[in-house]
Amino acid sequence: MPWWRNGRMQGVKVRDGGDGSLADAVGRSVLLARLQDLLAWGRKHSLWPLNFGLSCCYVEMATSITSTYDIARFGAEVIRGSPRQADVLIVSGTVFVKVAPIVKQLYEQMLEPRWVISMGSCANSGGMFDVYSVVQGVDSFLPVDVYMPGCPPPPHAFMETLLLLQEKVGRERRPLSWIVGPQEVQKPIMPSMRDLKRPERTREREYPPMDRLPLTDGLWRRPGESRPGERTPNDWRTVDDWKRTAG
Amino acid sequence: MIGNAPPAERPLVVEEVARRPGSGLLSVQDTTDGIPTIWVTRDAVHELLRFLRSDVPRPYRMLFDLSATDERMRRPSDGLPLGTFTVFYQLFSFERNEWLRVKVPLTGDAPSVPTVTDLWPNADWYERETWDMFGIRFDGRPSLRRLLMPPWWNGHPLRKDHPARATEMGRFQLPEERHDMTQDALQFRPEDWGMTRSHQEPDFDYMFINLGPAHTGTHGVLRLVAQLAGEEIIDIVPDIGFHHRAKEKMAERQTWHTFIPYTDRVDYLQGTLNELPYCLAVEKLAGIDVPPRAQVIRVMMCELYRLASHLVWYGTFAQDVGALSPVFYMFNDRERIHAITEAICGGRMHPNWFRIGGVAQDLPEGWDQLVRQFVEYFPARLDEYERLVMDNPIFKERTVGIGAFTLEDAIAWGATGPMLRACGLPWDLRKVQPYSGYEQFDFDVPSAGNGDCYDRAVVHVLEMRQSLRIIRQCLEGMPPGPYKSDHPRATPPLKEHTMHDIETLIHHFLGVSWGPVLPPGEAAVPTESSKGQTSYYLTSDGSQVSYRTRIRTPSFAHIQMVPFMARGELLPDLLAILGSVDFVLSDVDR
Repeated sequence: MPWWRNGRMQGVKVRDGGDGSLADAVGRSVLLARLQDLLAWGRKHSLWPLNFGLSCCYVEMATSITSTYDIARFGAEVIRGSPRQADVLIVSGTVFVKVAPIVKQLYEQMLEPRWVISMGSCANSGGMFDVYSVVQGVDSFLPVDVYMPGCPPPPHAFMETLLLLQEKVGRERRPLSWIVGPQEVQKPIMPSMRDLKRPERTREREYPPMDRLPLTDGLWRRPGESRPGERTPNDWRTVDDWKRTAG
Repeated sequence: MIGNAPPAERPLVVEEVARRPGSGLLSVQDTTDGIPTIWVTRDAVHELLRFLRSDVPRPYRMLFDLSATDERMRRPSDGLPLGTFTVFYQLFSFERNEWLRVKVPLTGDAPSVPTVTDLWPNADWYERETWDMFGIRFDGRPSLRRLLMPPWWNGHPLRKDHPARATEMGRFQLPEERHDMTQDALQFRPEDWGMTRSHQEPDFDYMFINLGPAHTGTHGVLRLVAQLAGEEIIDIVPDIGFHHRAKEKMAERQTWHTFIPYTDRVDYLQGTLNELPYCLAVEKLAGIDVPPRAQVIRVMMCELYRLASHLVWYGTFAQDVGALSPVFYMFNDRERIHAITEAICGGRMHPNWFRIGGVAQDLPEGWDQLVRQFVEYFPARLDEYERLVMDNPIFKERTVGIGAFTLEDAIAWGATGPMLRACGLPWDLRKVQPYSGYEQFDFDVPSAGNGDCYDRAVVHVLEMRQSLRIIRQCLEGMPPGPYKSDHPRATPPLKEHTMHDIETLIHHFLGVSWGPVLPPGEAAVPTESSKGQTSYYLTSDGSQVSYRTRIRTPSFAHIQMVPFMARGELLPDLLAILGSVDFVLSDVDR
């Protein structure tokens, strides 16, 4: 008997609390969304950055791509060499007077929709380089979507900015065609992170001692301390070990 | 002080110059760093430099640095034959293991000196930079064009009357016509560089390929235009200056102390290795002796940063020639180094941790555990990387015999560091002119014989093991004692003395707010950084800021060599050459 008759799928194992009913099956396999939302959702999770770096910040941007941080988790690891295939221009570093026209050229070669992240103090405002050869902020000639503070911002900051941009992209609404709906891009107004984070930041009066720091890496362990099931840095395996155990 | 000292006390080279008829010797300057410094006339300088390069016994075969100083605002210093501008040449003799500075006083607002490009090929870029920055002409060159600033720039930035701040120069705008004008200025015309488009053979034209400044293979904003016959490189014209952050101008406005963070950003991969030559030169001017613990802490941090820098080079070089996975392993290990630097300095890439007279803080509790874990862990990884990269047949195929040059070429082009050592000369300033206590450490200077891309890689890889050796010795033998000198000019002054009487409180207040005032003098301490020899040549005229800071960086000299190395190779070899050179664009353009 077909499953839509008796409300139960034949031969299909019912999983984690589902009852195998039609409603359950539909709930599991069908996504109902407005086309606009679906597109925004898709854009949000497939931001392709342009492989372009200016200075120190680019090294931290590259570090975010490598496996310790791994921006593939956010669908942003497809680094494109050509601006025509990229969605995000990350202005990672100092914008020099000599290089500014080139940055603008790259931005103009990118297709809509496109976004700009200003990475680091130099790109935000010139930073510590208030000097004749440096443009005081990339926003003097490009529209910036997210500003990332730091000199240079560590990879964590890079990832947080990426998530903020995803948030923004997910809430943006763009016209579906030239005849349907409003024709302008509706950009959300994003709150200032400084204001949002202020209460939390002002609560922190003291820097946590070494043993209370988050265990971000095996190296952050006090002498002799280990957690059950966790490998110490000396246990990091080499290819040879792997070969031996794989036998 | 001007050295009109009795002849017996003068350095040998000064005697050799003085004995020569028509040497044009004006004066002998007594510098703080003890590097012999002679002033000669404009008309005699070319002949004197030729003599020093070729004819003098144990000659000065390397032109280490060439730049200028705008003397028009300098406070009167007793007896120096100052004009409006001074051009200085810094030479090096390997046989003597000695430096020599030759200075030429110039007069007028548009001065000129004879070119020395016929003596040293690497003088080319130094002279162009001096023209660009100071407006000093070099006679006898076929052409003289700007190097760092764009061709449409007005004025010469390192002149004292050029504005320093961008905010003094009006808001930056990029309207359409300005955008078009700047793009047009970037247009490459082979005729401007004395190149022809057409080959001798009929129906055959050269191809000109533009790489950069936005290109993934150039490690940053470097632009190269390659003239190709098929795939063979006939010539290359590098275009730099896309990363010119004007740190030499910045040094004339920041105090001696507040310039330290800017040094971090000269070569952004090697952190404290930039701070070291600057602090050593300032300490020489101030007459500060750094306590032993501070010295060993400095050495340890420098070697950690050398490892971090070499790891980036290792991974990106392998990636440049097609091995995509090593860079992921190497960046992971770089993260482990940065975990240590973050725990000690609080910063990753830009630690800003050395101070005039020592370091910012003592080592934190538990630092030895962090460092020990790393030195125990890392050698096995290096073994693995050698199997992964250095033994890889494809890597060898791409690098062995590519971009080779001889030791004579290396010296003529001012190559230092691994570039020089790959040509068979184990020359390392840490060994031959030890500074910051390097003489107490037991380490070898690796070298290789062929001067090609593979040998440059070999030298880098062997150096990493030596750095580990040094770090291990720092770990085992870290001396107790203060981490900063108690000299009155050490900055910021030690806090514990301040609360006892008003006198020390005032000194502390002035030292922190105004910065230390250094006595007039000149000093440079060339050091061995990760990419070659780095030197900060500081001129003090007795105030709290530097009168002139000249930053000599290795990458500048090495990138200038790229056309020389690449001629006759194939286009894909160019990327192998660039990868092997180990340069950072901020180190090229400063």
